[in-house]
Amino acid sequence: MTGHEGKAPSAVTFHGSWTDFAKIALPNVLLTLVTLGIYRFWATTRERQYLWSQTRFIDEPLEWTGRGIELFIGFVMVFFLLGLPLVVMQLVINGLVFQGKPIIAGVIIFAMFLAIFYLTGLAYFRALRYRLSRTYWRGIRGGSDDQGFGYGWSYIWKNVVAAIPLYLLYPWASMSLWNERWSKMSFGPYQFESNADWKALMKRYLLFYLVPFLIFVGAVALGISAASAGGGGDPFNTAGGVAAIVAIFIGILGLYIIMPIAALLYYSKFMRVAIGSLRLGDLEFDFTARSPDWILFWLANLAILMLAYGFAFAPFSLLIATDPTQFVQQLEAGESILSVGLVIGILIAIIPLAFATSIIRYRSWKFFVVHTEAFGEVNLDRMTQSTTDSSSHGEGLLDAFDVGAI
Amino acid sequence: MTTFFDAWHFDGQSAVRRKVEIQTIGSQFFLLEQERRHGPFHFDELRFLEAKGDSKVYGLSGKDGWRLGIRGHVPTELAPLLPASKTYGGLIDRLGLGKASFVFAGISAAVVAVVLLSPQWLAPLIPSSVEAKLGNALVGDFGGRFCDTPKGKAALAKLTRSLDDHPEDLQVEVANIDMLNAVALPGGKVLLFQGLLSQAKSPDEVAGVLAHEIGHVRERHVMQGLLRQMGLAVVLGGFDGSGGSTLNSLLSTTYTRDSEREADDHSLKALKQANISPVGAADFFNRLASMDGSRDLKDRQARTMASYTSSHPLSDERRKLFENAVVKGSAYKPALTADEWQELKTMCAQDKDVKSGWGFDIE
Ligand SMILES: [Zn+2]
Repeated sequence: MTGHEGKAPSAVTFHGSWTDFAKIALPNVLLTLVTLGIYRFWATTRERQYLWSQTRFIDEPLEWTGRGIELFIGFVMVFFLLGLPLVVMQLVINGLVFQGKPIIAGVIIFAMFLAIFYLTGLAYFRALRYRLSRTYWRGIRGGSDDQGFGYGWSYIWKNVVAAIPLYLLYPWASMSLWNERWSKMSFGPYQFESNADWKALMKRYLLFYLVPFLIFVGAVALGISAASAGGGGDPFNTAGGVAAIVAIFIGILGLYIIMPIAALLYYSKFMRVAIGSLRLGDLEFDFTARSPDWILFWLANLAILMLAYGFAFAPFSLLIATDPTQFVQQLEAGESILSVGLVIGILIAIIPLAFATSIIRYRSWKFFVVHTEAFGEVNLDRMTQSTTDSSSHGEGLLDAFDVGAI
Repeated sequence: MTTFFDAWHFDGQSAVRRKVEIQTIGSQFFLLEQERRHGPFHFDELRFLEAKGDSKVYGLSGKDGWRLGIRGHVPTELAPLLPASKTYGGLIDRLGLGKASFVFAGISAAVVAVVLLSPQWLAPLIPSSVEAKLGNALVGDFGGRFCDTPKGKAALAKLTRSLDDHPEDLQVEVANIDMLNAVALPGGKVLLFQGLLSQAKSPDEVAGVLAHEIGHVRERHVMQGLLRQMGLAVVLGGFDGSGGSTLNSLLSTTYTRDSEREADDHSLKALKQANISPVGAADFFNRLASMDGSRDLKDRQARTMASYTSSHPLSDERRKLFENAVVKGSAYKPALTADEWQELKTMCAQDKDVKSGWGFDIE
């Protein structure tokens, strides 16, 4: 065997830099703030334009053609078609409960829950379709001929089936939904094919599933053994106290570190299997991120968020730390100068947080692109324009929720 | 006139990248490949898409995926024919980022100011019939939880009459719920909860609270608060996450505090007019505050207290307000006679038809 294995250059590459991205993200934050959040739809669009244009497939960059106004109209429609009715229904339900008709109220709540569940599934489908239909490569775009209404029902029943055996069938549901979603998408003249096998996920899923029990059992066992080691006397002696503290510590560690890591182990496998089974014409895809990559990615995002929270709340803690009692008194007395100060403080606190979340979006896109590989051939003559419908503005409708498309 | 420039082109039909020259003829142009000619196209159908590195990319209206890229410096003959490049698009490019930000900030501040201030003027414009309907839709008959005995109702009506000149447009009810609270609702509805009556030591205490709630009705706080909340929810709805809701609650609590002060002022005036001593109300607030202060009180009583203090923040200022209103040596008369007070207090216990509790909670 030769020592070196020549690695072919990846077909999917990323050429952006976060400093260039910051030049887009910072004005975005500023404009979003002064427009009371309305600019964020245009901000999203500008972000995507940059990220897409810095992503090359083989030799040509992608192009994002979605527009801020599409997302804005989508948001307004969600507000009037979903938000407002929900508020009205809330009032109606309150009224029904007060008037002693809890059964009717219950039926309405159930129907609302079902509708929201259905719309969530629809949102996942539409978000993916919207993004594909606005993604161009060499002047060719993707899309779907399916409206996603059937997918909404699949989303409900598959999740219900997954839940019946205590969520043990969750990998089946999510993988089967992934296959169903992608199989209805296309790019150019080619239909995506996806037939990923959910059984490959079961080992990781069971690990994730059992972690809470293992942590609990471990903590209890440790507590008992430490307590008995401390002698059979008073259970609240020092050894017992230490054991209790250790048990609590393990519990917290488990909740905030081990659980997310177990989830990442599962998710890492999911993405590798799911993207690995995706085909488009003669193209096959692969996702190379392994669990350590995911964990590092997650920890770095966490660190960025922590830093942002630090920046956001430093002014407040200074204000409170200088004279806590006076602060509370003034607040209770309702001094308007303080209220104005708080409002401005919150507005300023939004800056680092919004900037951090857009940096995290940059990192997520980069992570996704860098780890995506494609094999096979693209025949440029046969790669003709998509015939899917792309005219409707409503496409951006549920992208307004900004659910993850992939 | 014919000129040539180097450019690249996707026709939107296939993914083949074409190296082309631009041949301009007046307001039209052709794209020339080695053996093919594309066009003619109109310059005014070109749309600027993006500037990338040293290239500018254009699309064509109505042609999906049609792209024309011009690399490097655009020759002076061609430049005026091409659409202008955009960074942010529209207004922001025209004003510049700094100026546009100031304009937007000004508009936003004005909108928030309108939303905060306009309910004061808008609320009185809402017809009382609409308000009454809204009140009915919200509570109706409270699921049969309103207590009703002839003598108890008479006592309540007498109390209301003494505190307000137009009791006919008020609907004061006692709700059979063991909660220490009182609320003013749209349409002149005022609910006193049975828990409040049980805790009260004298009719004067109830009078103070009732007059306060009537104050909310008379100052039209209920509709104002509702309008303000809805307006803020719409205006700050653009922010996602907790930022918007934090701002919302902060801005509306500022107004809640003002409303509470106005309601207290109204209460004091009404008590004075009815010649009822404010000592009762002061005692009541004093007791609430001391119970609220002792946070380790875990009994049910303390928990029911919390519901009143959460909507009616108690401050030293507020207690003093009622204490200082007492005129020494004044010949106050009790709000109700001992018999009437007894009838009011036990009205819910005497009413055999009334439903109790919330109907769904686990007590
Ligand atoms: Zn009040």
